[in-house]
Amino acid sequence: MSGELLADAPGVLAALAQGASAVLLGLGLLFWFAGSWPLLGRASYLTKLHYLGISDTLGSALMLLGLLLRFQREWPLLVLALLSLVVWNTIFGYVLAACSQPRRRP
Amino acid sequence: MSRLIVIALRMLIWLLLSADPELLNVAIGLAVSLALPLPRRVRALSPGQFWRALGDSVTALPQAYSQAARLLLHRRLEESVVHDEPARVGGRASSVLVFLDVFRITLTPFTIALGLEGGGRRYRVHELVFEEKER
Repeated sequence: MSGELLADAPGVLAALAQGASAVLLGLGLLFWFAGSWPLLGRASYLTKLHYLGISDTLGSALMLLGLLLRFQREWPLLVLALLSLVVWNTIFGYVLAACSQPRRRP
Repeated sequence: MSRLIVIALRMLIWLLLSADPELLNVAIGLAVSLALPLPRRVRALSPGQFWRALGDSVTALPQAYSQAARLLLHRRLEESVVHDEPARVGGRASSVLVFLDVFRITLTPFTIALGLEGGGRRYRVHELVFEEKER
């Protein structure tokens, strides 16, 4: 029994990776919708930016992790996409927030 | 140190883009990283400061996910406040440090950095606060 399991280890691992990838993709999609939904409401601009950070940065990062498990041979490009996406989205959120503020004299 | 970080970042992007660890490719990447213009004047940055800021930014990632989950579960309970957070390196900090600090603050869904003021001594931070949470 254990011998059979060991022999089939690559198959089991692949199935696990597929399952985890599906979970991550689903979670990312959930974050996307949950974070984008408040944009339709009447919250203040900055509050909406907080929610946008959830969907844009964190949700998309989860999706890319899911893709990373699914297409392991493409890891360099996916890691590059993950890095640039997290940094770009976060800094863009900061730029939008900073630009919404009136200039204050020191 | 700041220049070294810029060059290392360029090498990382080159290697990930080309996905080719051969010696010739690495040499070309290094040549390109060194040939591109570097900032002429940089402010002092010690390795200790850099690694601490980088570590804080990385540990902010799991915090960001736990905060996101709490924010999504507690909708409509929040109010927003603006406060000042002292910068860890007062005065004229290196741009790498400012970048990492802004990244760390803005990454977590509860807080967004609004800018650096007081001559670089503190960050203005916009924060969501739960009404039930005691401050």
